[in-house]
Amino acid sequence: MNLLKNIFIQLGSLDRRVIFLIVGLSVLVPLVKPDWVSLPVRPKPHSQIVFDELNKLKQGDRVLLSFEYGPSTMPEIHPMSIAMLHHLFSKDVKIYATALWADGNFMSTDAFSDIAPKYEKEYGIDYVNLGYKPGNEAVVKGIASDIRALYTVDLKGNPINDIPMMQEVHNIEDFDFLFSLSAGFPGSKEWVQYATDPKNIPMSTGCTSIQVTDIVPYVENGQIKGILAGMPGAAEYEKLVETELNSQQQEIQPGEATRMMAAQSIAHVVIVLFIIFGNITYYLTRKNQRKGN
Amino acid sequence: MTAELIGAWVVVFLTLSIFSYLFDDNPFYKAAEHLFIGVSAGYWAVISFWQQIQPNLFGRLWPELESLAGEKTLMQSVWYGIYEVLNFITTGFGVLDRSVFPEGGIEGYDEIRFIYIIPFILGIFMLLRLVPKVGWLARWAIAYIVGMTAGLRFYSFLNSDILSQIKASAVNFTSDWGTMINGLIVFVGTLTGLIYFFFSKEHKGSFGTLSKIGIYFLMIKFGASFGFAVMGRISLLIGRINALKDYSAAEYNYATPIILGIIIITLVIWSLKGNRNQSELTG
Repeated sequence: MNLLKNIFIQLGSLDRRVIFLIVGLSVLVPLVKPDWVSLPVRPKPHSQIVFDELNKLKQGDRVLLSFEYGPSTMPEIHPMSIAMLHHLFSKDVKIYATALWADGNFMSTDAFSDIAPKYEKEYGIDYVNLGYKPGNEAVVKGIASDIRALYTVDLKGNPINDIPMMQEVHNIEDFDFLFSLSAGFPGSKEWVQYATDPKNIPMSTGCTSIQVTDIVPYVENGQIKGILAGMPGAAEYEKLVETELNSQQQEIQPGEATRMMAAQSIAHVVIVLFIIFGNITYYLTRKNQRKGN
Repeated sequence: MTAELIGAWVVVFLTLSIFSYLFDDNPFYKAAEHLFIGVSAGYWAVISFWQQIQPNLFGRLWPELESLAGEKTLMQSVWYGIYEVLNFITTGFGVLDRSVFPEGGIEGYDEIRFIYIIPFILGIFMLLRLVPKVGWLARWAIAYIVGMTAGLRFYSFLNSDILSQIKASAVNFTSDWGTMINGLIVFVGTLTGLIYFFFSKEHKGSFGTLSKIGIYFLMIKFGASFGFAVMGRISLLIGRINALKDYSAAEYNYATPIILGIIIITLVIWSLKGNRNQSELTG
Protein backbone atom coordinates (compact mmCIF):
# COMPACT_ATOMS: atom_id res chain seq x y z
CA MET A 1 0.00 0.00 0.00
CA ASN A 2 2.85 2.32 0.92
CA LEU A 3 4.55 1.51 -2.37
CA LEU A 4 1.39 2.52 -4.25
CA LYS A 5 1.20 5.73 -2.21
CA ASN A 6 4.83 6.53 -3.03
CA ILE A 7 4.23 5.90 -6.72
CA PHE A 8 1.33 8.35 -6.69
CA ILE A 9 3.39 10.96 -4.81
CA GLN A 10 6.25 10.52 -7.30
CA LEU A 11 3.79 10.94 -10.17
CA GLY A 12 2.91 14.34 -8.73
CA SER A 13 6.37 15.62 -9.62
CA LEU A 14 6.24 14.22 -13.15
CA ASP A 15 7.80 16.45 -15.81
CA ARG A 16 4.87 18.18 -17.49
CA ARG A 17 6.38 17.44 -20.93
CA VAL A 18 5.70 13.75 -20.33
CA ILE A 19 2.01 14.65 -19.88
CA PHE A 20 2.09 16.67 -23.13
CA LEU A 21 3.66 13.69 -24.91
CA ILE A 22 1.01 11.26 -23.63
CA VAL A 23 -1.83 13.62 -24.64
CA GLY A 24 -0.18 14.05 -28.05
CA LEU A 25 0.10 10.29 -28.53
CA SER A 26 -3.52 9.77 -27.42
CA VAL A 27 -4.50 12.04 -30.32
CA LEU A 28 -1.99 10.75 -32.86
CA VAL A 29 -2.60 7.01 -32.50
CA PRO A 30 -6.38 7.06 -33.31
CA LEU A 31 -5.64 9.34 -36.29
CA VAL A 32 -2.93 7.07 -37.69
CA LYS A 33 -4.75 3.84 -36.86
CA PRO A 34 -8.50 4.62 -37.02
CA ASP A 35 -9.38 0.89 -37.15
CA TRP A 36 -8.05 0.40 -33.62
CA VAL A 37 -10.66 2.72 -32.13
CA SER A 38 -14.07 2.78 -33.75
CA LEU A 39 -16.74 4.62 -31.77
CA PRO A 40 -20.33 5.25 -32.91
CA VAL A 41 -21.69 8.80 -33.33
CA ARG A 42 -25.22 9.30 -31.97
CA PRO A 43 -26.93 12.65 -32.65
CA LYS A 44 -27.98 14.54 -29.53
CA PRO A 45 -31.27 16.51 -29.36
CA HIS A 46 -29.70 19.92 -30.07
CA SER A 47 -27.98 18.66 -33.25
CA GLN A 48 -31.21 16.96 -34.29
CA ILE A 49 -33.10 20.27 -33.90
CA VAL A 50 -30.55 22.03 -36.14
CA PHE A 51 -30.89 19.31 -38.76
CA ASP A 52 -34.70 19.33 -38.60
CA GLU A 53 -34.87 23.12 -38.92
CA LEU A 54 -32.61 23.10 -41.99
CA ASN A 55 -34.37 20.08 -43.42
CA LYS A 56 -37.67 21.98 -43.30
CA LEU A 57 -36.36 24.49 -45.86
CA LYS A 58 -37.83 24.21 -49.33
CA GLN A 59 -36.32 24.58 -52.80
CA GLY A 60 -35.51 28.24 -53.50
CA ASP A 61 -35.57 29.32 -49.84
CA ARG A 62 -32.83 31.76 -48.86
CA VAL A 63 -30.32 31.02 -46.12
CA LEU A 64 -27.80 33.51 -44.81
CA LEU A 65 -24.67 31.61 -43.81
CA SER A 66 -22.26 33.62 -41.73
CA PHE A 67 -18.62 32.53 -41.47
CA GLU A 68 -17.22 33.76 -38.16
CA TYR A 69 -14.20 31.56 -37.74
CA GLY A 70 -10.68 31.22 -39.00
CA PRO A 71 -7.91 28.65 -39.43
CA SER A 72 -7.38 28.40 -35.66
CA THR A 73 -10.88 26.98 -35.10
CA MET A 74 -11.16 25.18 -38.43
CA PRO A 75 -11.13 21.61 -37.02
CA GLU A 76 -14.29 22.32 -35.03
CA ILE A 77 -16.31 24.51 -37.39
CA HIS A 78 -15.20 23.73 -40.94
CA PRO A 79 -16.69 20.20 -40.95
CA MET A 80 -20.03 21.84 -40.05
CA SER A 81 -19.71 24.21 -43.04
CA ILE A 82 -18.95 21.34 -45.41
CA ALA A 83 -21.84 19.20 -44.13
CA MET A 84 -24.17 22.20 -44.24
CA LEU A 85 -23.32 22.99 -47.87
CA HIS A 86 -23.99 19.34 -48.76
CA HIS A 87 -27.32 19.54 -46.96
CA LEU A 88 -28.47 22.89 -48.37
CA PHE A 89 -27.24 22.36 -51.94
CA SER A 90 -28.92 18.95 -52.04
CA LYS A 91 -32.19 20.72 -51.18
CA ASP A 92 -31.61 23.46 -53.82
CA VAL A 93 -31.66 26.16 -51.16
CA LYS A 94 -30.05 29.47 -52.13
CA ILE A 95 -27.04 30.32 -49.97
CA TYR A 96 -25.85 33.84 -49.16
CA ALA A 97 -22.50 33.80 -47.39
CA THR A 98 -21.13 36.59 -45.30
CA ALA A 99 -18.24 36.90 -42.85
CA LEU A 100 -17.84 38.85 -39.63
CA TRP A 101 -14.24 37.70 -39.35
CA ALA A 102 -11.59 38.56 -41.95
CA ASP A 103 -10.42 34.93 -41.98
CA GLY A 104 -13.99 33.89 -42.72
CA ASN A 105 -13.36 34.78 -46.38
CA PHE A 106 -10.82 31.97 -46.68
CA MET A 107 -13.12 29.52 -44.95
CA SER A 108 -16.16 30.30 -47.10
CA THR A 109 -14.15 30.31 -50.35
CA ASP A 110 -12.60 26.96 -49.45
CA ALA A 111 -15.95 25.39 -48.52
CA PHE A 112 -17.76 26.63 -51.66
CA SER A 113 -14.97 25.65 -54.04
CA ASP A 114 -15.00 22.19 -52.50
CA ILE A 115 -18.76 21.49 -52.49
CA ALA A 116 -20.52 23.71 -55.08
CA PRO A 117 -19.07 21.90 -58.17
CA LYS A 118 -20.28 18.52 -56.81
CA TYR A 119 -23.88 19.78 -57.02
CA GLU A 120 -23.23 21.79 -60.22
CA LYS A 121 -24.19 25.01 -58.45
CA GLU A 122 -23.59 28.29 -60.20
CA TYR A 123 -22.17 31.37 -58.53
CA GLY A 124 -24.63 34.27 -58.45
CA ILE A 125 -27.58 31.98 -59.22
CA ASP A 126 -27.41 29.34 -56.47
CA TYR A 127 -24.95 30.90 -54.05
CA VAL A 128 -23.16 34.16 -53.47
CA ASN A 129 -20.29 35.12 -51.24
CA LEU A 130 -20.60 38.67 -49.93
CA GLY A 131 -17.39 38.44 -47.95
CA TYR A 132 -16.07 40.16 -44.87
CA LYS A 133 -16.88 43.64 -43.63
CA PRO A 134 -15.15 45.13 -40.60
CA GLY A 135 -17.39 46.68 -37.96
CA ASN A 136 -18.51 43.76 -35.77
CA GLU A 137 -22.06 44.33 -34.47
CA ALA A 138 -22.48 47.35 -36.77
CA VAL A 139 -22.19 44.96 -39.72
CA VAL A 140 -24.92 42.71 -38.28
CA LYS A 141 -27.08 45.76 -37.73
CA GLY A 142 -26.36 46.86 -41.31
CA ILE A 143 -27.36 43.48 -42.75
CA ALA A 144 -30.51 43.57 -40.62
CA SER A 145 -31.56 46.98 -41.96
CA ASP A 146 -30.06 47.48 -45.46
CA ILE A 147 -27.53 45.16 -47.07
CA ARG A 148 -26.83 47.56 -49.93
CA ALA A 149 -25.76 50.29 -47.52
CA LEU A 150 -22.99 47.95 -46.44
CA TYR A 151 -22.16 45.86 -49.49
CA THR A 152 -21.67 47.45 -52.89
CA VAL A 153 -19.71 44.52 -54.29
CA ASP A 154 -19.38 40.84 -53.39
CA LEU A 155 -16.15 39.08 -52.42
CA LYS A 156 -15.20 38.70 -56.09
CA GLY A 157 -15.76 42.40 -56.78
CA ASN A 158 -19.03 41.96 -58.72
CA PRO A 159 -21.47 44.84 -58.11
CA ILE A 160 -24.27 43.58 -55.84
CA ASN A 161 -26.96 44.93 -58.18
CA ASP A 162 -25.60 42.82 -61.06
CA ILE A 163 -25.92 39.53 -59.14
CA PRO A 164 -29.19 37.76 -60.11
CA MET A 165 -29.89 36.18 -56.71
CA MET A 166 -29.42 39.54 -54.95
CA GLN A 167 -32.26 41.23 -56.85
CA GLU A 168 -34.93 40.60 -54.22
CA VAL A 169 -32.68 40.73 -51.18
CA HIS A 170 -32.54 43.98 -49.25
CA ASN A 171 -32.24 43.09 -45.59
CA ILE A 172 -32.41 40.22 -43.09
CA GLU A 173 -36.19 39.93 -43.49
CA ASP A 174 -35.68 38.61 -47.02
CA PHE A 175 -34.01 35.47 -45.65
CA ASP A 176 -35.83 32.35 -44.50
CA PHE A 177 -33.13 31.20 -42.13
CA LEU A 178 -29.82 32.33 -40.68
CA PHE A 179 -26.99 30.05 -39.70
CA SER A 180 -24.00 31.36 -37.79
CA LEU A 181 -20.74 29.38 -37.92
CA SER A 182 -19.20 31.05 -34.94
CA ALA A 183 -15.91 30.91 -33.08
CA GLY A 184 -16.34 33.95 -30.82
CA PHE A 185 -16.92 37.69 -31.05
CA PRO A 186 -18.54 38.87 -33.24
CA GLY A 187 -20.69 35.81 -33.77
CA SER A 188 -23.90 34.05 -32.82
CA LYS A 189 -24.65 36.33 -29.86
CA GLU A 190 -24.52 39.44 -32.04
CA TRP A 191 -26.78 37.84 -34.65
CA VAL A 192 -29.34 37.13 -31.92
CA GLN A 193 -29.09 40.59 -30.39
CA TYR A 194 -29.05 42.75 -33.51
CA ALA A 195 -30.76 40.73 -36.21
CA THR A 196 -32.84 37.65 -35.48
CA ASP A 197 -34.45 38.74 -32.19
CA PRO A 198 -35.58 42.20 -33.38
CA LYS A 199 -36.62 40.95 -36.83
CA ASN A 200 -37.95 37.56 -35.69
CA ILE A 201 -35.93 35.46 -38.16
CA PRO A 202 -35.20 31.81 -37.24
CA MET A 203 -31.55 31.04 -36.68
CA SER A 204 -29.27 28.21 -35.62
CA THR A 205 -25.64 28.08 -34.74
CA GLY A 206 -22.61 25.88 -34.98
CA CYS A 207 -20.01 27.07 -32.54
CA THR A 208 -16.77 26.17 -30.85
CA SER A 209 -16.94 24.09 -27.66
CA ILE A 210 -15.71 26.97 -25.55
CA GLN A 211 -18.73 29.10 -26.52
CA VAL A 212 -21.37 26.48 -25.80
CA THR A 213 -22.17 27.44 -22.22
CA ASP A 214 -22.63 31.07 -23.28
CA ILE A 215 -24.92 30.21 -26.18
CA VAL A 216 -27.05 27.51 -24.53
CA PRO A 217 -29.32 30.00 -22.66
CA TYR A 218 -30.42 31.37 -26.07
CA VAL A 219 -31.03 27.83 -27.29
CA GLU A 220 -33.06 26.83 -24.25
CA ASN A 221 -35.13 29.97 -24.66
CA GLY A 222 -35.82 29.28 -28.34
CA GLN A 223 -33.94 32.38 -29.53
CA ILE A 224 -31.60 29.98 -31.35
CA LYS A 225 -32.99 26.76 -32.85
CA GLY A 226 -30.58 24.06 -31.70
CA ILE A 227 -26.81 24.16 -31.54
CA LEU A 228 -23.95 22.19 -33.08
CA ALA A 229 -21.55 22.10 -30.15
CA GLY A 230 -17.93 21.87 -31.26
CA MET A 231 -16.46 18.85 -32.97
CA PRO A 232 -18.97 16.35 -31.51
CA GLY A 233 -21.81 18.57 -32.80
CA ALA A 234 -20.16 18.64 -36.23
CA ALA A 235 -19.81 14.84 -36.25
CA GLU A 236 -23.46 14.39 -35.22
CA TYR A 237 -24.65 16.75 -37.96
CA GLU A 238 -22.43 15.00 -40.51
CA LYS A 239 -24.04 11.71 -39.50
CA LEU A 240 -27.56 13.15 -39.92
CA VAL A 241 -26.74 14.65 -43.33
CA GLU A 242 -25.07 11.43 -44.44
CA THR A 243 -28.15 9.39 -43.46
CA GLU A 244 -30.48 11.85 -45.19
CA LEU A 245 -28.48 11.98 -48.45
CA ASN A 246 -27.97 8.22 -48.50
CA SER A 247 -31.75 7.79 -48.16
CA GLN A 248 -32.05 9.91 -51.33
CA GLN A 249 -29.53 7.62 -53.09
CA GLN A 250 -26.88 10.35 -53.04
CA GLU A 251 -23.31 9.31 -52.36
CA ILE A 252 -21.52 11.13 -49.54
CA GLN A 253 -18.36 10.21 -47.68
CA PRO A 254 -18.16 10.35 -43.85
CA GLY A 255 -17.07 13.84 -42.85
CA GLU A 256 -13.84 15.08 -41.30
CA ALA A 257 -15.31 15.52 -37.79
CA THR A 258 -16.59 11.92 -37.71
CA ARG A 259 -13.08 10.68 -38.51
CA MET A 260 -11.56 12.83 -35.76
CA MET A 261 -14.03 11.87 -33.01
CA ALA A 262 -12.11 8.75 -31.97
CA ALA A 263 -9.05 10.89 -31.22
CA GLN A 264 -11.27 13.34 -29.33
CA SER A 265 -12.78 10.58 -27.15
CA ILE A 266 -9.44 8.91 -26.36
CA ALA A 267 -7.83 12.26 -25.49
CA HIS A 268 -10.74 13.02 -23.15
CA VAL A 269 -10.32 9.67 -21.36
CA VAL A 270 -6.60 10.39 -20.93
CA ILE A 271 -7.28 13.88 -19.55
CA VAL A 272 -9.94 12.58 -17.15
CA LEU A 273 -7.45 9.95 -15.91
CA PHE A 274 -4.84 12.67 -15.41
CA ILE A 275 -7.33 14.74 -13.42
CA ILE A 276 -8.14 11.73 -11.20
CA PHE A 277 -4.43 10.91 -10.74
CA GLY A 278 -3.66 14.55 -10.05
CA ASN A 279 -6.32 14.75 -7.34
CA ILE A 280 -5.24 11.51 -5.67
CA THR A 281 -1.61 12.66 -5.73
CA TYR A 282 -2.55 16.05 -4.32
CA TYR A 283 -4.61 14.42 -1.54
CA LEU A 284 -1.83 11.97 -0.61
CA THR A 285 0.89 14.65 -0.72
CA ARG A 286 -1.14 16.95 1.54
CA LYS A 287 -1.87 14.10 3.94
CA ASN A 288 1.83 13.24 4.01
CA GLN A 289 2.78 16.86 4.70
CA ARG A 290 0.29 17.04 7.58
CA LYS A 291 1.91 13.98 9.13
CA GLY A 292 5.21 15.85 8.90
CA ASN A 293 6.90 13.52 6.40
CA MET B 1 2.29 21.61 -56.99
CA THR B 2 5.39 23.64 -56.11
CA ALA B 3 3.31 26.31 -54.37
CA GLU B 4 1.36 23.62 -52.52
CA LEU B 5 4.61 21.93 -51.51
CA ILE B 6 6.15 25.16 -50.24
CA GLY B 7 2.88 25.93 -48.43
CA ALA B 8 2.93 22.51 -46.75
CA TRP B 9 6.52 22.98 -45.57
CA VAL B 10 5.74 26.43 -44.19
CA VAL B 11 2.63 25.08 -42.42
CA VAL B 12 4.60 22.23 -40.85
CA PHE B 13 7.48 24.49 -39.82
CA LEU B 14 5.18 27.05 -38.17
CA THR B 15 3.03 24.41 -36.45
CA LEU B 16 6.05 22.61 -35.02
CA SER B 17 7.64 25.94 -34.05
CA ILE B 18 4.58 26.82 -31.99
CA PHE B 19 4.46 23.32 -30.47
CA SER B 20 8.14 23.68 -29.52
CA TYR B 21 6.99 26.02 -26.74
CA LEU B 22 5.88 22.88 -24.86
CA PHE B 23 9.60 22.09 -24.52
CA ASP B 24 10.51 25.61 -23.50
CA ASP B 25 10.46 29.21 -24.72
CA ASN B 26 12.83 29.17 -27.71
CA PRO B 27 13.76 31.08 -30.91
CA PHE B 28 11.54 28.89 -33.15
CA TYR B 29 8.49 29.72 -31.05
CA LYS B 30 9.37 33.42 -30.91
CA ALA B 31 9.88 33.64 -34.68
CA ALA B 32 6.54 31.91 -35.38
CA GLU B 33 4.71 34.06 -32.83
CA HIS B 34 6.08 37.33 -34.26
CA LEU B 35 5.31 36.23 -37.80
CA PHE B 36 1.74 35.32 -36.83
CA ILE B 37 1.10 38.69 -35.17
CA GLY B 38 2.69 40.64 -38.02
CA VAL B 39 0.87 38.79 -40.78
CA SER B 40 -2.48 38.98 -38.91
CA ALA B 41 -2.16 42.74 -38.36
CA GLY B 42 -1.11 43.35 -41.97
CA TYR B 43 -3.87 41.19 -43.41
CA TRP B 44 -6.51 42.78 -41.19
CA ALA B 45 -5.37 46.29 -42.14
CA VAL B 46 -5.42 45.55 -45.89
CA ILE B 47 -8.83 43.85 -45.72
CA SER B 48 -10.32 46.70 -43.65
CA PHE B 49 -9.07 49.27 -46.12
CA TRP B 50 -10.14 47.55 -49.33
CA GLN B 51 -13.42 46.10 -48.06
CA GLN B 52 -14.65 49.02 -45.98
CA ILE B 53 -12.78 52.31 -46.21
CA GLN B 54 -12.23 52.41 -49.98
CA PRO B 55 -15.66 51.24 -51.25
CA ASN B 56 -17.88 52.37 -48.37
CA LEU B 57 -16.27 55.65 -47.27
CA PHE B 58 -14.40 56.98 -50.31
CA GLY B 59 -17.02 55.37 -52.55
CA ARG B 60 -19.76 57.41 -50.90
CA LEU B 61 -17.77 60.62 -50.90
CA TRP B 62 -16.58 60.34 -54.50
CA PRO B 63 -18.92 58.05 -56.44
CA GLU B 64 -18.38 57.48 -60.15
CA LEU B 65 -19.08 60.79 -61.94
CA GLU B 66 -20.99 59.01 -64.71
CA SER B 67 -23.51 57.62 -62.24
CA LEU B 68 -24.37 61.06 -60.79
CA ALA B 69 -27.65 62.53 -61.95
CA GLY B 70 -27.83 65.94 -63.70
CA GLU B 71 -25.22 68.31 -65.10
CA LYS B 72 -21.79 68.55 -63.53
CA THR B 73 -21.74 71.56 -61.19
CA LEU B 74 -18.86 73.82 -60.13
CA MET B 75 -19.00 72.38 -56.63
CA GLN B 76 -18.64 68.88 -58.01
CA SER B 77 -15.59 69.99 -60.00
CA VAL B 78 -13.99 71.39 -56.83
CA TRP B 79 -14.93 68.25 -54.88
CA TYR B 80 -13.42 65.96 -57.49
CA GLY B 81 -10.37 68.24 -57.55
CA ILE B 82 -9.75 67.18 -53.93
CA TYR B 83 -10.21 63.58 -55.14
CA GLU B 84 -7.43 64.11 -57.67
CA VAL B 85 -5.17 65.64 -54.99
CA LEU B 86 -5.72 62.58 -52.79
CA ASN B 87 -5.01 60.37 -55.78
CA PHE B 88 -1.78 62.29 -56.44
CA ILE B 89 -0.65 61.67 -52.84
CA THR B 90 -1.63 57.97 -52.77
CA THR B 91 0.15 57.27 -56.05
CA GLY B 92 3.41 58.55 -54.56
CA PHE B 93 3.05 61.93 -56.30
CA GLY B 94 2.13 60.39 -59.60
CA VAL B 95 4.81 57.68 -59.65
CA LEU B 96 2.50 54.67 -59.13
CA ASP B 97 -0.64 53.60 -61.02
CA ARG B 98 -4.08 54.66 -59.74
CA SER B 99 -5.56 52.15 -57.30
CA VAL B 100 -7.31 53.71 -54.30
CA PHE B 101 -8.91 56.50 -56.32
CA PRO B 102 -9.75 55.19 -59.80
CA GLU B 103 -10.29 57.48 -62.81
CA GLY B 104 -13.66 59.26 -62.69
CA GLY B 105 -14.69 58.19 -59.17
CA ILE B 106 -15.43 54.96 -57.31
CA GLU B 107 -18.08 52.56 -58.56
CA GLY B 108 -21.00 51.60 -56.29
CA TYR B 109 -23.08 54.66 -55.35
CA ASP B 110 -25.03 57.17 -57.40
CA GLU B 111 -24.91 60.30 -55.22
CA ILE B 112 -22.34 62.17 -53.15
CA ARG B 113 -23.05 61.72 -49.43
CA PHE B 114 -21.32 64.63 -47.69
CA ILE B 115 -22.38 63.36 -44.24
CA TYR B 116 -19.58 60.81 -44.57
CA ILE B 117 -17.04 63.63 -44.18
CA ILE B 118 -17.66 63.27 -40.42
CA PRO B 119 -16.43 59.64 -40.16
CA PHE B 120 -13.59 60.55 -42.55
CA ILE B 121 -12.45 63.35 -40.21
CA LEU B 122 -12.92 61.17 -37.12
CA GLY B 123 -10.80 58.49 -38.80
CA ILE B 124 -8.05 61.05 -39.41
CA PHE B 125 -8.35 62.14 -35.76
CA MET B 126 -7.76 58.55 -34.71
CA LEU B 127 -4.49 58.47 -36.65
CA LEU B 128 -3.39 61.73 -35.01
CA ARG B 129 -2.63 59.72 -31.88
CA LEU B 130 0.71 59.18 -33.53
CA VAL B 131 1.41 62.94 -33.34
CA PRO B 132 1.84 63.84 -29.63
CA LYS B 133 0.94 67.55 -30.01
CA VAL B 134 -2.50 66.91 -31.51
CA GLY B 135 -2.98 63.41 -30.13
CA TRP B 136 -5.84 64.64 -27.94
CA LEU B 137 -8.05 64.85 -31.03
CA ALA B 138 -8.15 61.04 -31.08
CA ARG B 139 -10.30 61.22 -27.93
CA TRP B 140 -13.14 62.68 -30.00
CA ALA B 141 -13.12 59.64 -32.27
CA ILE B 142 -12.87 57.28 -29.30
CA ALA B 143 -15.72 59.12 -27.54
CA TYR B 144 -17.87 58.68 -30.65
CA ILE B 145 -17.07 54.96 -30.84
CA VAL B 146 -17.77 54.40 -27.14
CA GLY B 147 -21.01 56.39 -27.23
CA MET B 148 -22.22 54.76 -30.43
CA THR B 149 -21.40 51.25 -29.17
CA ALA B 150 -23.08 51.85 -25.81
CA GLY B 151 -26.21 53.12 -27.53
CA LEU B 152 -26.21 50.32 -30.06
CA ARG B 153 -25.72 47.63 -27.44
CA PHE B 154 -28.11 48.96 -24.84
CA TYR B 155 -31.42 48.06 -26.46
CA SER B 156 -30.31 44.76 -27.97
CA PHE B 157 -28.67 43.57 -24.74
CA LEU B 158 -31.70 44.59 -22.69
CA ASN B 159 -34.04 42.81 -25.07
CA SER B 160 -32.13 39.59 -25.87
CA ASP B 161 -30.09 39.03 -22.72
CA ILE B 162 -32.10 40.51 -19.87
CA LEU B 163 -35.82 40.58 -20.66
CA SER B 164 -35.84 37.36 -22.70
CA GLN B 165 -33.72 35.52 -20.14
CA ILE B 166 -35.87 36.70 -17.21
CA LYS B 167 -38.89 35.41 -19.12
CA ALA B 168 -37.09 32.10 -19.75
CA SER B 169 -36.26 31.61 -16.07
CA ALA B 170 -39.94 31.75 -15.05
CA VAL B 171 -41.50 28.40 -14.11
CA ASN B 172 -44.36 27.22 -16.27
CA PHE B 173 -46.71 25.38 -13.88
CA THR B 174 -49.03 24.32 -16.71
CA SER B 175 -46.35 22.18 -18.39
CA ASP B 176 -45.43 18.53 -17.72
CA TRP B 177 -43.56 17.44 -14.59
CA GLY B 178 -40.13 17.17 -16.25
CA THR B 179 -40.27 20.69 -17.70
CA MET B 180 -41.60 22.04 -14.40
CA ILE B 181 -38.74 20.48 -12.39
CA ASN B 182 -36.21 21.78 -14.95
CA GLY B 183 -37.78 25.22 -14.68
CA LEU B 184 -37.58 25.12 -10.90
CA ILE B 185 -33.89 24.17 -10.99
CA VAL B 186 -33.17 27.06 -13.38
CA PHE B 187 -35.19 29.43 -11.19
CA VAL B 188 -33.43 28.40 -7.97
CA GLY B 189 -30.03 28.49 -9.73
CA THR B 190 -30.64 31.99 -11.11
CA LEU B 191 -31.91 33.35 -7.80
CA THR B 192 -29.21 31.84 -5.58
CA GLY B 193 -26.50 32.75 -8.11
CA LEU B 194 -27.63 36.37 -7.96
CA ILE B 195 -27.73 36.23 -4.15
CA TYR B 196 -24.08 35.15 -4.13
CA PHE B 197 -23.17 38.35 -5.99
CA PHE B 198 -25.22 40.57 -3.62
CA PHE B 199 -22.60 42.07 -1.32
CA SER B 200 -24.69 44.75 0.45
CA LYS B 201 -25.81 42.22 3.06
CA GLU B 202 -23.58 39.90 5.07
CA HIS B 203 -23.78 36.27 3.87
CA LYS B 204 -25.05 34.81 7.18
CA GLY B 205 -27.99 32.66 8.27
CA SER B 206 -30.56 31.72 5.62
CA PHE B 207 -29.10 34.37 3.27
CA GLY B 208 -25.70 32.69 3.66
CA THR B 209 -27.22 29.27 2.95
CA LEU B 210 -28.84 30.55 -0.25
CA SER B 211 -25.54 32.15 -1.23
CA LYS B 212 -23.79 28.79 -0.67
CA ILE B 213 -26.34 27.04 -2.90
CA GLY B 214 -25.56 29.73 -5.47
CA ILE B 215 -21.87 28.80 -5.29
CA TYR B 216 -22.72 25.18 -6.16
CA PHE B 217 -24.67 26.31 -9.21
CA LEU B 218 -21.79 28.57 -10.25
CA MET B 219 -19.31 25.71 -9.78
CA ILE B 220 -21.42 23.47 -12.01
CA LYS B 221 -21.38 26.21 -14.66
CA PHE B 222 -17.61 26.70 -14.36
CA GLY B 223 -17.10 22.93 -14.52
CA ALA B 224 -19.17 22.72 -17.70
CA SER B 225 -17.24 25.67 -19.18
CA PHE B 226 -13.93 24.02 -18.28
CA GLY B 227 -15.02 20.72 -19.83
CA PHE B 228 -16.05 22.46 -23.05
CA ALA B 229 -12.79 24.48 -23.06
CA VAL B 230 -10.76 21.26 -22.81
CA MET B 231 -12.85 19.73 -25.59
CA GLY B 232 -12.23 22.79 -27.79
CA ARG B 233 -8.47 22.76 -27.20
CA ILE B 234 -8.26 19.04 -27.92
CA SER B 235 -10.20 19.59 -31.16
CA LEU B 236 -7.63 22.17 -32.23
CA LEU B 237 -4.80 19.83 -31.32
CA ILE B 238 -6.45 17.09 -33.39
CA GLY B 239 -6.68 19.49 -36.33
CA ARG B 240 -2.98 20.34 -36.20
CA ILE B 241 -1.83 16.74 -35.65
CA ASN B 242 -4.06 15.62 -38.53
CA ALA B 243 -2.42 18.23 -40.78
CA LEU B 244 1.06 17.13 -39.64
CA LYS B 245 0.11 13.52 -40.37
CA ASP B 246 -1.10 14.45 -43.89
CA TYR B 247 2.06 16.42 -44.65
CA SER B 248 4.33 13.56 -43.60
CA ALA B 249 3.43 11.73 -46.84
CA ALA B 250 5.85 11.21 -49.75
CA GLU B 251 3.90 13.66 -51.96
CA TYR B 252 4.95 16.45 -49.60
CA ASN B 253 8.55 15.19 -49.52
CA TYR B 254 8.15 13.99 -45.90
CA ALA B 255 7.83 17.55 -44.61
CA THR B 256 6.80 16.61 -41.04
CA PRO B 257 9.55 14.10 -40.12
CA ILE B 258 12.29 16.18 -41.75
CA ILE B 259 11.32 19.48 -40.10
CA LEU B 260 10.63 17.74 -36.78
CA GLY B 261 14.11 16.22 -36.89
CA ILE B 262 15.74 19.57 -37.71
CA ILE B 263 13.85 21.36 -34.91
CA ILE B 264 14.66 18.66 -32.33
CA ILE B 265 18.38 18.65 -33.22
CA THR B 266 18.54 22.46 -33.16
CA LEU B 267 16.72 22.63 -29.81
CA VAL B 268 19.04 20.01 -28.28
CA ILE B 269 22.11 21.98 -29.40
CA TRP B 270 20.54 25.24 -28.23
CA SER B 271 19.65 23.65 -24.90
CA LEU B 272 23.14 22.20 -24.40
CA LYS B 273 24.64 25.63 -25.02
CA GLY B 274 22.80 26.73 -21.87
CA ASN B 275 20.34 29.12 -23.48
CA ARG B 276 17.26 27.63 -21.82
CA ASN B 277 15.34 29.38 -19.11
CA GLN B 278 15.49 27.47 -15.86
CA SER B 279 11.73 27.43 -15.54
CA GLU B 280 9.53 25.17 -13.45
CA LEU B 281 8.87 22.09 -15.56
CA THR B 282 7.16 19.72 -13.16
CA GLY B 283 3.44 19.09 -13.20
